[in-house]
Amino acid sequence: MSDTLSDDASGGDDGQEDVMTPAELIGKLEEAWLNEKFSPELLENKSEMGECVMEQLTHMEANLQRVRRGDVKASVHRMEIDRIRFVLSSYLRSRLQKIEKFFPHVLEKEKSRVEGDPSFLSPEEFAFAKEYLANTETYLKAVALKHMPPNLQTVDMLKAVPEPCLDSFVFLRVRERQENILVEPETDDQREYVVDLDVDSQHLMRYRAIAPLVSSGAVQLI
Amino acid sequence: MFCEKAIEIIRELHRMGDGQLPAFNEDGIRQVLEEMKALYEQNQSDVNEAKSEGKSELIPTIKFRHCCLLRNQRCIAAYLYDRLLRIRTLRWEYGSVLPTNIRFHMCAEELEWFNQYKKSLATFMRSLGGEEGLDITQDMKPPKSLYIEVRCLKDHGEFEIDDGTIILLKKNSQHFLPRWKCEQLIRQGVLEHIMS
Amino acid sequence: METHSYFPVPPGVGMEENFLSLDDILLSHERLPSRTECTFPRLGFLEKSSDSRDIQEGTKMEMPLFLAKGLYERKRRVVSVELPKVYKEGWRTVFNADPTVVDLHKMGPYYYGLGSQLLHFDSPENPEIAQAVLQTFIGRFRRTMDSSQNAYNEDTSALVERLDYLERALFRAGQSGLNSFQNWERGRASTITASSLVLNYRKRKITDLQP
Repeated sequence: MSDTLSDDASGGDDGQEDVMTPAELIGKLEEAWLNEKFSPELLENKSEMGECVMEQLTHMEANLQRVRRGDVKASVHRMEIDRIRFVLSSYLRSRLQKIEKFFPHVLEKEKSRVEGDPSFLSPEEFAFAKEYLANTETYLKAVALKHMPPNLQTVDMLKAVPEPCLDSFVFLRVRERQENILVEPETDDQREYVVDLDVDSQHLMRYRAIAPLVSSGAVQLI
Repeated sequence: MFCEKAIEIIRELHRMGDGQLPAFNEDGIRQVLEEMKALYEQNQSDVNEAKSEGKSELIPTIKFRHCCLLRNQRCIAAYLYDRLLRIRTLRWEYGSVLPTNIRFHMCAEELEWFNQYKKSLATFMRSLGGEEGLDITQDMKPPKSLYIEVRCLKDHGEFEIDDGTIILLKKNSQHFLPRWKCEQLIRQGVLEHIMS
Repeated sequence: METHSYFPVPPGVGMEENFLSLDDILLSHERLPSRTECTFPRLGFLEKSSDSRDIQEGTKMEMPLFLAKGLYERKRRVVSVELPKVYKEGWRTVFNADPTVVDLHKMGPYYYGLGSQLLHFDSPENPEIAQAVLQTFIGRFRRTMDSSQNAYNEDTSALVERLDYLERALFRAGQSGLNSFQNWERGRASTITASSLVLNYRKRKITDLQP
């Protein structure tokens, strides 16, 4: 596959030296995909990566057009394109699903974001979430709320729609060794304790305890 | 007791646990709204009486009715919201055109919500780059092979595949087609994926 | 398996209720034996057994949980809530002896949910109730899990019959995991299938047609 993937691959337009090879880019996509699939909350957006993968796909499609029809190479390339497109679609679907599920909280987080901090939503996702909220509020109002007594005509979506459950358990593999990770007690007669996480070891833990390690890339959800 | 109608519409929806959309219970909603109106008016008049005549013994009754008002509001909101979750799923399972028998179960405002949702989703997908964007409602399962064997479960008419070839999808006919061209038809129950 | 099917608002965890959850709404409609601690003027018509204009102080009522919760105040008692019998000491002893023999569907079906909700009313027995609910769950969990992981391609109605709603949800989750795994093992995970929603609508259409 390397020849369709090769030639040009831009690792983002920040003009820094960290130019990524196509294989690295697909690796990044797979990491982001698994993390997003298994974490209970919406993770930071990687829209730049998504755009690169889209470019890569377009580029590969174009290369494929040049290959003679019926060539075995063509079907191998086609398959590779399909696989990458599946992972990218699945990644974006997971995000959209969480945006729909938690829209009031996602928007609230975006609102309280400090200027200059990275956004959890891509501009397109932000637009989608805003429309989803407006559409849903309009709907509730039109069907029922406006016919209710004056003091009951609003429902606070932020209180009504549940937040992501950060206490869910997740499986993870350690990429960078961690020391002194605090584990909260499960029952009244347990006490909190700390664990060290060795490289390549796998664990089942509460998401809350390791959430920062997911975003820093020190652990990978599996 | 109050709120009986409200729990009835919740039960009706809850019974369809697999996500199907029962007919919009307009009459049920109307009855709950009527009960709310009555409760509110009684409370208004009791509040005035309690204030002007100092009848504080009315307060428990006012509170009682208020709890029921909040309850009715919650039931209606949950009923409507749960329906939206079901309607949203339809976009992913059927595509953007819904069968008539399902549209029939939706109220006008729900159709409006569905259309808006469709539009937002389309805008989002178009923005994903490339010439036409990326249709993320496709590719629901990881690809294992390029072509798959399918059987036609009902007459569907002509169908164009990638290279311009047109084939006729006739009931019970079998075809060997590019996987990504027929995914949606399989989900809609037009084609069946045959495993060798 | 990745699906984009219908995911309802889940019930709240522990003592919490989710406002939009249908499960929680049904749970909070469960009735609790209660007693009014003051008069509720002009609501007598709700009490079918009496023809008084008011609900008198000291009236025993079966009150839905949402109402009992809404009216309950620590400072100013307007209602008091009695424990349903399955949470009382007598039954707690039975549960303690062998939780697996109890028909929690008949006794519940929201045994865990209602038990957690009862903690909102500060009864002196709250710590014991919480313990009983937790221990019962622990005592039964293994069996629920085992049966959900071992019943493949068979009628499970007898297995779930005696389970509380929470246990039934866990049983279903276990079954769906088992089925996905079996499919994957037989190399069928990548088969594209008609959406279950489409299939069910079709089934219904057919049954609608039958006389």
